[in-house]
Amino acid sequence: MKRTIFLRVVAMMLSVVLAFGALGVTSLASESVKTGSLKGESGTAATLEEMQSLLTTSSYEAYLLSHKDSINGDSRKEISLSVTDFNGDAIKVSDSKEVAASIAKSPGNWSELSEEDKAMSVFLPAVSSDGKAASVTWNFDIEVGASGFYTIEIEYFDCIIDAESYVDGENTVPILTKSSVSAIERKLSLRGVIPFDEVSSISFDKHWIYDYKTVSEPYEVPAEKRPFTSVGSVTEYEHIADGDNKGYYKYVTKTYPENGKLMQTVTTYKITQDINGNSMAPSAKAISTWTKHMVTDSSGYSDGALKFYLAEGSQWITLEAIKEPMIVKSIKIVPADAPNYKTDAHGNTYIDEQSSARSYADYLNYIRTEFNDDAKAANGVGTVIEAEFPDYISDSSVAATNDNTSAINSPVSSKAQLYNVIGENSYSAMGQWAAYTFTVDETGFYKLGARFRQDTLQGMFICRTLKLSGGIYGETAEVPFDEAYRIRFGYSNEWQSEYMGYYYDELDDNGNVVTDEDGNPVQSKKEIELFFEEGDEYTLYLECSLGDLKEKIKTVEESLNIINNCYLRILQRTGAEPDKNQDYSFMKYMPEVLVSLLEQAKTLTTVADELEALCGTNGSHIATLDTIARILTTMGADGGEKIAENMSNLKSYLGTLGTWINDSKTSSMMLDSVTIVPSDSDEDDIPYANANFFESIWFEISSFIYSFFTDYDKMGLTEEAQAEEGAVQVWLAMGRDQSQIWRSMIDAKGGFTDTYGKGVSLKLVTGGTLLPSILSGKGPDVYLGLGSSEVINYAIRNAIVGVSGNAGNLTEEQNAVFNNYWYRDANGNEIKSETKLSNEEMTSRGLRLVSSAFEEASRSEIFADAAMKTLTLSDTTYGLPMTMSFAMMFYRMDVLGELGLEVPETWDELLGSLPMLQSNNMTIGVSYVSALDFMIYQMGESMWRYEGDEYDSRWAGSAINLDSNVSLEAFDFVCSLYTEHSLPVSFDTANRFRTGEMPITIGDYISIYNSLVVFASEIGGVWEFSSLPGSIYEDEETGKEIYNYDSLAGVSATVLLNGCQDDIDTLLAAWQFMQWQTSREVQASYGNSIVALIGPAAKYETANKLAINDLSWTAKEKAAISDQMAHMDAIVNYPGSYIIARYMKFAFLDVYNDGLPANEAMMSYIDAINSELTRKRDEFSEYLYSQTTWEEMGLNAPPKLESKGE
Amino acid sequence: MSEEIVKKTDKNRPLQRDEMSKLQWTWKEMKRNKTAYFMLFPFLILFIVFTVLPVLLSMFLSLTDFNMLEMPNWKGVDNYTRLFLDDDIFMLAVQNTLIFACVTGPVSYILSLLVAWFVNELPPKIRAVVTLVFYAPSISGQVYLIWKTLFSSDSYGWANATLMDLGIITSPILWFEDAAYVMPLCIIVALWTSLGTAFLSFIAGFQTVDRSMYEAAAVDGIKNRWQELWYITLPTMRPQMMFGAVLAITNSFGFGAVVDALCGFPSVDYAAHTIMHHLSDYGGSRYEVGYASAIAVVLFIMMFASNILVKKALSKVGE
Repeated sequence: MKRTIFLRVVAMMLSVVLAFGALGVTSLASESVKTGSLKGESGTAATLEEMQSLLTTSSYEAYLLSHKDSINGDSRKEISLSVTDFNGDAIKVSDSKEVAASIAKSPGNWSELSEEDKAMSVFLPAVSSDGKAASVTWNFDIEVGASGFYTIEIEYFDCIIDAESYVDGENTVPILTKSSVSAIERKLSLRGVIPFDEVSSISFDKHWIYDYKTVSEPYEVPAEKRPFTSVGSVTEYEHIADGDNKGYYKYVTKTYPENGKLMQTVTTYKITQDINGNSMAPSAKAISTWTKHMVTDSSGYSDGALKFYLAEGSQWITLEAIKEPMIVKSIKIVPADAPNYKTDAHGNTYIDEQSSARSYADYLNYIRTEFNDDAKAANGVGTVIEAEFPDYISDSSVAATNDNTSAINSPVSSKAQLYNVIGENSYSAMGQWAAYTFTVDETGFYKLGARFRQDTLQGMFICRTLKLSGGIYGETAEVPFDEAYRIRFGYSNEWQSEYMGYYYDELDDNGNVVTDEDGNPVQSKKEIELFFEEGDEYTLYLECSLGDLKEKIKTVEESLNIINNCYLRILQRTGAEPDKNQDYSFMKYMPEVLVSLLEQAKTLTTVADELEALCGTNGSHIATLDTIARILTTMGADGGEKIAENMSNLKSYLGTLGTWINDSKTSSMMLDSVTIVPSDSDEDDIPYANANFFESIWFEISSFIYSFFTDYDKMGLTEEAQAEEGAVQVWLAMGRDQSQIWRSMIDAKGGFTDTYGKGVSLKLVTGGTLLPSILSGKGPDVYLGLGSSEVINYAIRNAIVGVSGNAGNLTEEQNAVFNNYWYRDANGNEIKSETKLSNEEMTSRGLRLVSSAFEEASRSEIFADAAMKTLTLSDTTYGLPMTMSFAMMFYRMDVLGELGLEVPETWDELLGSLPMLQSNNMTIGVSYVSALDFMIYQMGESMWRYEGDEYDSRWAGSAINLDSNVSLEAFDFVCSLYTEHSLPVSFDTANRFRTGEMPITIGDYISIYNSLVVFASEIGGVWEFSSLPGSIYEDEETGKEIYNYDSLAGVSATVLLNGCQDDIDTLLAAWQFMQWQTSREVQASYGNSIVALIGPAAKYETANKLAINDLSWTAKEKAAISDQMAHMDAIVNYPGSYIIARYMKFAFLDVYNDGLPANEAMMSYIDAINSELTRKRDEFSEYLYSQTTWEEMGLNAPPKLESKGE
Repeated sequence: MSEEIVKKTDKNRPLQRDEMSKLQWTWKEMKRNKTAYFMLFPFLILFIVFTVLPVLLSMFLSLTDFNMLEMPNWKGVDNYTRLFLDDDIFMLAVQNTLIFACVTGPVSYILSLLVAWFVNELPPKIRAVVTLVFYAPSISGQVYLIWKTLFSSDSYGWANATLMDLGIITSPILWFEDAAYVMPLCIIVALWTSLGTAFLSFIAGFQTVDRSMYEAAAVDGIKNRWQELWYITLPTMRPQMMFGAVLAITNSFGFGAVVDALCGFPSVDYAAHTIMHHLSDYGGSRYEVGYASAIAVVLFIMMFASNILVKKALSKVGE
């Protein structure tokens, strides 16, 4: 339905466009005939066809409605596809030793599989050998009379791959992507077409566990304890505040008879502590396993498996990779019931879709008939499951955390932050779950109590889907009954403790729904009772879901799409700044927009009323809908008279509505514990919700007092020793989370200390601390993340150690650290070698490479040359790049597709599409500051003028190149974008991109990506990014045309501070740390950990080109980033370079504000720039020209710029 | 009488003021008032360490080429020569600072005084509320950033949107990036935030004036409220006025953070570049602390001089 309206609007838009100016369109059409892509193979931007195909896919609902006349055939039966008969980019695991070996290393149960199973498995990489997204197809036939509705079940293994290539027949094929933290995602199509939107991205969960669990060897229960020990399992919790064993523990002691003896095993879970007693995050690791997965909707809007209509004849199913490799063993096409079509009062067909699960009543009946006498309230005591110890989690970011807002959270300490809850933000996205295993003492019915706090969705409730596995519930986690999809957790500022249950519409004696005065049904809660048998081990899954809110939120989302289209329609008529006094005659030109504004106002009011009835209160969250409905009514009334004055309001409310949907879909709560108690228990048998007055007061006071005694410097340190002398002193100015990740990566098994045998003291400092610390001589050895201009600033003042092995101020011995390869032998001695040893030689001598020479460590496969350039001055390099940010182009595929515009590859094409965009009151966003810089490089010149024929580092940076013809042309071009072509100089990227007003925007890729992911999740899937548009210029010498789309690198680096070279061992250790820290593995693991901890909006812009492959980008995104990384340049930092940006900005503003000619404006600042450069070079002449150098040059003193002449 | 004579002839009697050198006298007085000095001591230490020493140190550094990271070299008066003879932007900064100081200093001072006088006339309860309203902009930290929204360069900024609505302009004005608007806007914002501590001290000052003096003055023939203000009220509250004046001077000379926050650093074409900015430009982005110190010394002298001027002017109040 959403899509049909969309289509209608598209059609209308196109007609409007035609009406506006057929001329413009025809001229554009002739231009848009393209001879071929300039970027060729490396181009990653979507084609027009791809973008337009987005507009034609329908929603699941529309898909089902379109098949309402289809009937299920009689001879339908389950079809098992022969998985090994595939076409496309996949490989049978048994065909490639490399793949098999790599999968065998996957943590999990691969090795336990039978050979037959292994022979049936097919490996689906994420990227095919030509670098595009891998896609695999299977053929099958639907026999005559077997057409109808089917669901699809895929059995997959979430393998963890860390090989980079596999052997396919005789070719070595790169896998390109190792596994990262992301879930597996695939695009599903049938007969080459994506049947509906929901399967354009289906996700396959990976399974994660925390590595805090150890299981003891079985032992016999000692004789003296035997009389008190019974068969079963006991769960205990313990917090040890001090001593060697300090930590927070969970023990599960399982007692069972074996060969006449009473045996026990103890499973211990441990959350470790830092020096201050704060809990430290356990690290999550993926544990691969076979999973049967029904293809479902990952947006959370429909429960249960999705249904596909398959017609008779040959069919084929295609899985195209979006993210992550996977292994598939079986694909089954399973017959399903036809959707439940119904007709409403107006004669429209709608679907009342139920999941295929049985009802709660059926479940109870089943248990009662199956278990007769046992089907009663269990006899015994309850078990408390502390929620901070999940056994499995759906993705690595579902994490335990601390909450000290209540004095009776368990455990709680006023001294430290102990992990005592799970949530709240890390456990809130649709489909995320945490799972707990447990056993019960007695067979019978149990109720589940939960102690939780849900204070984010004001006045509303959130839902969890409860799934079970084990015992009678089977091996795969399934809902025990339909109602389990909607277990509600209400809103309160306080902690709550209640039994889990669902809500149902009350029925009166005649079986009619009881309604309140507004006609909404009255609901009551039903606490659910679950049947468990003693001796079985169960796993309880609590999965974030929309539950009862599903339809409401879906309605609002559809409504938002319609209102957004209305907004764009109105925008096309009035422009962004409508004139209040003008008569736009909306009634005449677009009556349907007015109607749909009023309709949507009504829809939103209805949803608000329904939500109010559901939730029982009208919180501020729900009231938002009413507010928006009010403004829509105002705008739609009176023939649209009030539209003009309310336009800007509408725009901001569109944003509000988008946020409203995001918030409603964020099902966040903190869960302290789940209690499993016999079903006849009452309210007192589960933990209290809140502490009493005295407990609270005492807790607050003691927390306040203890806060004076906490040493915040030692946050995250596990041992005092880590702060001791001798260790490499590393400082970083990042957040606490980031610093904790570095700490744990250094200490982890296989981490820095483990591999190199050297300690690291890590200190979290605030940004401006480095300078004063160097001044006072108390600086660190290594600093992480220093901006490249600062690096050069410090370097010319001798505050940073050159690492390229040719630094003039280092001794030969010190430079040798960077010029040689270092190997470590079995005894821990470090041996130096001028050349790199071969692998054979290393093994034969028992050596291990622990440090490379600078050339090797900084080679251009690892770091972009541009990035190294920014850290280099006078041939000496002062660090290794850690992060690299650069501009890329983001575009809205839906908008461009509607308008029939290709993604531009050159600036001319970009300007060519501008009239079309502007006639629709849309525009393009480019920040002039970055455009001024990269344009010069794209036109083939540099910011700096290099004197003489050959590059001579001594003269580099002595004069600016802004006065060359090409640079002036570039400057003039950028100015013309804003003056002639009226691009906005100042704008809010995220907001305008979201509304579609700015369908193309150019800016720093990581910050735009991160803000769009959280801020504009409702447009997810309709935007992409690719490398910059480029310029074409003629090469002076060869006369050939050159196409250049370079972006400029903004680098922050890891550097060694002056002082660490005094001790050669420290220098080597610091250099090793620097190489380790910027290496592929560590950068990838850091980038993945930070996403795991903070979420998908915390993407990390590593400078390591190889590490990009291991981060959680989709195949397409990786290709785009790699493409741009291969086309990079940088403005080299020379003394005085800070002045350039300043004067370029002044020149630009002179042109923009005062209308000066571009050349004149730029030329008026050239002298000022050059004289500042000269002045700075004079200040550092001793550094730039050592005595021998200037004597060689035949000079009596360090040269000044004048002596070289202009 | 006889005792006094005895004392004068007594050899062991303490020396009198006229018989001692200045130093002896000071020492004696210090010993006599040792309790007071003892109580002053903690503040004195802090004042010397954190105020006097840095001023002296920066005077010393202004004669070197200190760059924050390496040992300074002696440069004599090079920095000052360059500052006055070879630094056009410094001259521009001096000009801007003077314009700034001459407009915001006196205007904010007089504004504070007049508003305080007006507020003082109100009944106590209303006075408390009105005082808060006027004082609020200066206590709420970075509240001046509201101006950034009002005068946003985006076409959706309030000022731009309104002007475009009214059809006065067709494309957005880059308010804080256009040399023509930067200075006036910054002056307006400065005045808006200037009703600060000085204003409060004026209100306090107005309330300390002895009521009986007005009655006496009325008897002596004061004709109107202006005369009352000039001859009675203001002379009585001279200490508060001095305090307010010192604050106004330091504020108007040291006005920098607001410009940074609104216009970015440096402001376009140095249109609102004050001495403070020049100082942080050299001290911060160019690491030329020696040169920055020279700038600081000049700024210090300018403030000091205007302080003396103001003091002279204030002594004329009520005459």
